[in-house]
Amino acid sequence: MKRFFIFLKTELKLSLRDMNMPIFAVIMPLVIFVILGILYGEKPAFDGASYTFLEQSFGAACAIAICAGGLMGLPQAISDSRERKVLKRFRVTPVSPVFLLGVEMAMYIVYCAASLGTLAIAALFWKVRLQGSLPYFLGSWLLTMVSTLSVGLLVGGVAKNTKQAGVIASILYFPMLVFSGTTLPIEVMPRAMQKIVRLFPLTQGISLMKNTFLRMNPGNVLAPICVMLGLTALCVGLAVRFFRWE
Amino acid sequence: MSEAIFAEGLTKSYDGKTVVDHLSFSVERGTVFGLLGANGAGKSTAIECLLGTKRADAGTVRLLGQDPGKQRRALFQRIGVQFQDGDYQAEIRVSELCEETACLYPNPMDWRVLCRQFGIGDKMRASVKHLSGGQRQRLFIVLALIPRPEVVFLDELTTGLDAKARREVWKTLESLKEKGLTIFLTSHFMDEVEALCDEICILRKGVSVFRGSVPQAKALCGCERFEDAYLHLADQEADA
Repeated sequence: MKRFFIFLKTELKLSLRDMNMPIFAVIMPLVIFVILGILYGEKPAFDGASYTFLEQSFGAACAIAICAGGLMGLPQAISDSRERKVLKRFRVTPVSPVFLLGVEMAMYIVYCAASLGTLAIAALFWKVRLQGSLPYFLGSWLLTMVSTLSVGLLVGGVAKNTKQAGVIASILYFPMLVFSGTTLPIEVMPRAMQKIVRLFPLTQGISLMKNTFLRMNPGNVLAPICVMLGLTALCVGLAVRFFRWE
Repeated sequence: MSEAIFAEGLTKSYDGKTVVDHLSFSVERGTVFGLLGANGAGKSTAIECLLGTKRADAGTVRLLGQDPGKQRRALFQRIGVQFQDGDYQAEIRVSELCEETACLYPNPMDWRVLCRQFGIGDKMRASVKHLSGGQRQRLFIVLALIPRPEVVFLDELTTGLDAKARREVWKTLESLKEKGLTIFLTSHFMDEVEALCDEICILRKGVSVFRGSVPQAKALCGCERFEDAYLHLADQEADA
């Protein structure tokens, strides 16, 4: 366990020096949320709504960090350390692939949590209230995060090189970022488009977070939960199975 | 069980070109073994096949009596490795790299002491990428010794080091050898090989052309200087 924290501490320091992840996973979601706060303030989501526009958007803002960490940062970090032959050096030490992947995943969990924390503080300025239950909201946040990170783990684990990882990451990251309700609320999209984007796993996670945050009737939650858990297990399993040192 | 490294019939080809050809040798515990040869003779590939980072097409390898491909994690608690193209995370500092390495082993050596011993004691807070070539080389020897290994692999041991630093590295390795460390090295410096190695193997285009001690090599060629004997055996004069 001590070993795990030494690695986590070192990798976090390295990524702070590089500044990519603090910007994309913590500062960017915060900036977007603050802009929404300035634009909408404490206005209701729509006429007669029992919650404000910002309350409706809180889950989506959290998802920006999850998306940046899981689909952009994580695959790049893993394939970069392979390309730089850092993994080759680890191969002739007693370290296991599960340990190395675990450290990387933990690092992005820290970023997502840091983003959640800063967003929660920013939310105080516009009197955003958690109307639903905290454990349920945190549960959906955790589920969205873990399932998204596991996709990133798989991409980083099996991509041939950093370039390929970057391409796959962009293909996953940008459509999900724009269309799954992170930056653009699903509610403002045309109906047909809403139907398509609901197929993204991240869309499910965001709507789960939104529903638990706003205490709305979530409808059938069992299906998205099962899909996301199944996706996580599958991706983590494949990432470990097909882990490449070089 | 006094054999630290054992290889038999080790063969590896890339795209139909045989890089290592039926290489066989064994290294006694507590001795220093040098694998020599010109650039591209197959030294690094041979080391990688020994360590299991490359899969040999044919042949058997035993490190400390175990198969490196199958018992990787148990085995590499007892083995230190310095790769020729050793690499590191982009922004990492010397102390961080040492700490990360040390925490992987049950009973590591004190890396601060090692760094001082190898003359980079004042560089612990420096970025690895800002070290000079020689300093980085010494750092990677330190990393290979941190596990308190029973066997250490050093690829291109002192490339990039000045004369004084080389002598200091030799001294440290000799004292570790007295404590029972087995050393497997490659080097292009024949004075170094002569000073350190109990036994050598010379590769020429992947084929072992000589196996024995430095005095034996000199006697075989009738040369007074080992470098002449080496060049004679590695057939570089004929190629040139």
